[in-house]
Amino acid sequence: MKKEVEIKHLPMEEKKRLTREGKMKWFFPEHVAEQIIICLFLLVLLITLATIFPPHLDAKADPFNTPEHIKPEWYFLAAYQMLKIAEKLEFLGAWAPKILGVASQGVIVLFLMLIPFMDNKKERRYRSRPVAMALGVLAIIGFVALTVWGHYS
Amino acid sequence: MEKVRFGPITITNSYLIKTYRYVNDRLDIREILDLEVFDKLAPTHLGLLSCFGGITFFLFLTQIVTGLLLMVYYIPETEKAYDSVVMITNSVDFGWAVRGMHAWGANLMVVTVIIHMAKIFFSGIYKPPRELNWVNGVVLLLLTFGFAFTGYLLPWTQLSYWATVVGTETPAAIPVVGEFVKELMRGGSEISQVTLNRFFAIHVMILPITMGVFLVLHFFQIRRQGISGPM
Repeated sequence: MKKEVEIKHLPMEEKKRLTREGKMKWFFPEHVAEQIIICLFLLVLLITLATIFPPHLDAKADPFNTPEHIKPEWYFLAAYQMLKIAEKLEFLGAWAPKILGVASQGVIVLFLMLIPFMDNKKERRYRSRPVAMALGVLAIIGFVALTVWGHYS
Repeated sequence: MEKVRFGPITITNSYLIKTYRYVNDRLDIREILDLEVFDKLAPTHLGLLSCFGGITFFLFLTQIVTGLLLMVYYIPETEKAYDSVVMITNSVDFGWAVRGMHAWGANLMVVTVIIHMAKIFFSGIYKPPRELNWVNGVVLLLLTFGFAFTGYLLPWTQLSYWATVVGTETPAAIPVVGEFVKELMRGGSEISQVTLNRFFAIHVMILPITMGVFLVLHFFQIRRQGISGPM
């Protein structure tokens, strides 16, 4: 596979040959047209959702009235549920729940950032990367499970 | 007849040709147009899943446009914020649509970012030479969550107020600097006018600028390294 910078400077005849053989296509207009179609579809989707399911507007904030259940938005539910699980670690000492709760989230972010440095072998096929695949699937199942749990807890 | 060719397009209209010449004489754009647009090749092996980075970016652009429109009417003051959002929703022409698109766009953006990252992960695209762009991507993910967290408080509803009370309490657990981080976020010990100002400034200026910088870096790396080949 040629590098992007090399492809960019290929002679015109070579570029024409690649598109003729279907190995590459023209950025303009083929690729641009696809992008425009996707963007228009997204715009329609946004307008449709905003029209049919307008966002809920809760009551005005009242600092003197604490609601019974305080839940974050769905994308923070997994993190929220992790903190709640950490509360169960009280048997390790009074310090444990809070510090372990917040530390576990820091560790997850750090782990996410370091993925390419821990796994830097060139191999990309699914079958040759069982550990990465297993971890990836577990992470998704974990996120979904914690989110659902957080929603019902 | 005089002709100028741009890839598949041939221009014969003399006014368009004059305009092009005027610009090109001054900026020499021909070279950039050819290399970056008209003589540029795109890969053919990409499926829908490969589009989620671009989809996320487009959603981010709609967030900027709808966000700017919301900012025209929104008042970042504890006593007026909620009423200004009610006004946007009920009185301003198409305000309901703009607010709806902003709220839905935010939620969809989180979904598409996750799909984008999953695709990059499972296809092993984060591997060398793209490892720094993965780190850059994780930063963009965190910034997206930052947008979500700060934007949620702005309507000043019961849910957003109390979710922020709990959310800003979390970093207090960090050893040594925890309390400081919490007070920094709140601008004091309570959620107050200062907090609302802070979250507003972060949401509409600090995060967009930071996001812009990291997006430029993200795209620069993609443009230099190209789209990864088939597995």
